[in-house]
Amino acid sequence: MTRELAAAVLRRLGQAVLTALVASTLVWALLPLAPGDPVLRLMEARHILEPNDLQIANLRAELALDQPLPLQYANWLARAVRGDLSISYRTGRPVLEEISERLPATMMLLGTALAASILLSLVLALVAVAWRDRWPDRLILLYTQIGAAIPTFVFALLVLQYVIVGAGIGRVLPQGSLALVLLPALTVAVDRAAGWTQLLRASLIEAGNANHALVARARGASRWHVIWHHALPNGILPFLTAIGVSIGALIGGAPIIEEIFTWPGLGRYVLQALSARDYPVIQGFVLLSGLSYVAASLAVDLVAMMLYPRLRKSS
Amino acid sequence: MNMLDRFASVARPAPPTHDTVHWRRLWPRLLRHRGFCIGLVLGLALLGLAAIGPFIAPYEPNWPDYAAALRAPEPAHWLGTDATGRDVLARILDGAHRSIGAAVFVLATIFAIGLVVGAVAGMAGGVVDTVLMRLVDVMMTLPGLVLAFAILGILGPGFFNLLLALVVADWAYYARLARSLTLSARTRPDVIAARMAGIGWGRILLGHILPGVALQLAVVATLGIGGMISAISGFSFLGLGVQPPYAEWGAMLAESRFYFPIAPWLLLVPAGSIFIAVLSANLIGNGLRDVLEAKGRT
Repeated sequence: MTRELAAAVLRRLGQAVLTALVASTLVWALLPLAPGDPVLRLMEARHILEPNDLQIANLRAELALDQPLPLQYANWLARAVRGDLSISYRTGRPVLEEISERLPATMMLLGTALAASILLSLVLALVAVAWRDRWPDRLILLYTQIGAAIPTFVFALLVLQYVIVGAGIGRVLPQGSLALVLLPALTVAVDRAAGWTQLLRASLIEAGNANHALVARARGASRWHVIWHHALPNGILPFLTAIGVSIGALIGGAPIIEEIFTWPGLGRYVLQALSARDYPVIQGFVLLSGLSYVAASLAVDLVAMMLYPRLRKSS
Repeated sequence: MNMLDRFASVARPAPPTHDTVHWRRLWPRLLRHRGFCIGLVLGLALLGLAAIGPFIAPYEPNWPDYAAALRAPEPAHWLGTDATGRDVLARILDGAHRSIGAAVFVLATIFAIGLVVGAVAGMAGGVVDTVLMRLVDVMMTLPGLVLAFAILGILGPGFFNLLLALVVADWAYYARLARSLTLSARTRPDVIAARMAGIGWGRILLGHILPGVALQLAVVATLGIGGMISAISGFSFLGLGVQPPYAEWGAMLAESRFYFPIAPWLLLVPAGSIFIAVLSANLIGNGLRDVLEAKGRT
C-alpha cells in the first residue's frame, strides 16, 4: 500500500522534473528568437557604450553565444540552475535579485487570492447543492454566470472605482503589505471563484446522484450527511484538477491585477520590462511562472493521490 | 467485473454517438434552451449594432473635439465623450469590430490548426502522432497567458502580434482534444462498418470522423470565445494589443482610467460592453454544449 504510494509519488516527481526541463527549453528559446544582439545590449547595461571587438568577443565566449544552439542551451541551463539568470538590460542588476525583491508581494497577493477563492467556491457550491433549485442555488448560479462574464481586470477596475475610491475602503496606492492585501486578493477571488463554484456544484450533483448516495438517502440519511460523506469525497476531484490548471491563469493574470491596484510586485515589474524590451527579465518571469505552474500541478496531483488510492496505479 | 463495468457506465456520460448532425432537428432544441436564446439575442443585437454602427454613427470614432470633452451622456452624445471629446458610442461600436472580431478570428484560426493537427495525429498514428503530440506537450508546459506575455515580449506590442501570441499560446489544447476525439471516433460502430464495407480511410475521415470531431471542437471553441474577448481586452488594457488612437474596449478603459472618478460612463460603458459580449458568448456556448450533450446521451 505505502510502497505503491511511494512509487506513484516518485513517478510523478520524475514527470514533473521532465516537464520543468521541457519548459526550460521553451523559455530559453525566447532569447535566441528575440531581435537584437544580446551581447551589445549586455554591454550597454554594463555601461560600456562603445565596446571594442575584443570585449565583444570575450563576452560572447563567456556566454557561449559563439557555440552551436544546443551548447548555448546547456550553458544557459547550467547558469540558470546556479541562479544566474543574466542581468537586466535596463538596470544592469542580476535578474534573480530584481525578481526576488518583488516576489514576496506577488506571492502574498496570489496566495491570499488562491486561498480565498478555494474557500469561497467550496462554501458556495455546498450551499448551492444543499438548497438545490431553491433561492440560494438560483442566486449562486446567477453569481457564477455574472462572474464568468466579467474579466478579472474589469471587475478590479469596478472595485477600485466604487469600493476604494467611492466608499473610501482600502488604499489606492498599497505598498504591498499584508494589511492591504485583502482587497486586491478578494477581488481576484470573487471573480475566479465563479467558475470553480459552477464546476464543483455540477460535480457534487453528479456524485450525489451515484447509487451509493441514492441508497444512503433511501435509508434515511440526512441531506448534509449525503453531501458530506457521499457527494463531497467523490465529487471534489475535478475541482482539485481545475485548481491546478487555474494556477497558471492566476500567475498569468498577476501583471494586470498588480497594474490596476498599483501592487509593487513582480507582475508590474514585468510590464515595465516588456515596454523596455528587457528580455532577460521577461525570460526570468516566464521561467519562474513555468516552474511555479509545474510545482502547483505536482502539488495538486500529490494531494489527489493521497485522497484517491486508485490514482496511484501506474497507467 | 461485469458489475463494475455496469456501474462505470452509469457514472460516466456515454460518449457522444452522433455521426451526423441534423441542424433541422437541433434548432428546435436550441430554441427551447432559455440561456441559448438570451445569448443569441444579445449577441445578434451586439453584432448588428457593430455592423450598422459606422453608417449611422454621427461621429468619427477617432476624431477629437476638445470643445466637447468629458460630456456626460446627453442627446448629442448618447454615451458621453472621453477626455479628448471623442464620442463614446462611436468608439464602442468601432471597438466591437476589434474586440469581438479578433476573438472570433483567433478561435477560428486555433480551431482550424487544432482540427488539422489533431485529425492528422489521430489518423496517422505512429511517428507522426508521437512527434505532433510531443510538440503539443512542449507548448502546454507553460500557462497560456504567460506564454502569450513571452511572445509579446519578443515581438513587441501590437494588435497583430497579440493575435499571433494568443494563437500560439492556445492551439495545443485544441489539437490534443481533436486527437482524442478522432481516436474515439475511429472505434465507433459506423466507422468500423464503413471500414468493413471496404471504404477508404480518406472517405471515412471526411464522411464519418471529421464532421463529429469538428462539431465537438466547435462547441469547445464557442465556449472559449468569452475568455478570448477578456484576454484581448486585457492585453489591450495593458497597452500590448490595439494601439492608440484605435478603439478597443480594453484600450478605451486604459486611456480613460484616470477620469473614472469624474466621468464614470467612461468606465461603465466599455465594461458593460465587455460584460454583454462575454455573457452572450458564454450563454451560446453553454446552450450548444447542453443540447449536444443531451443528444449524445439519448
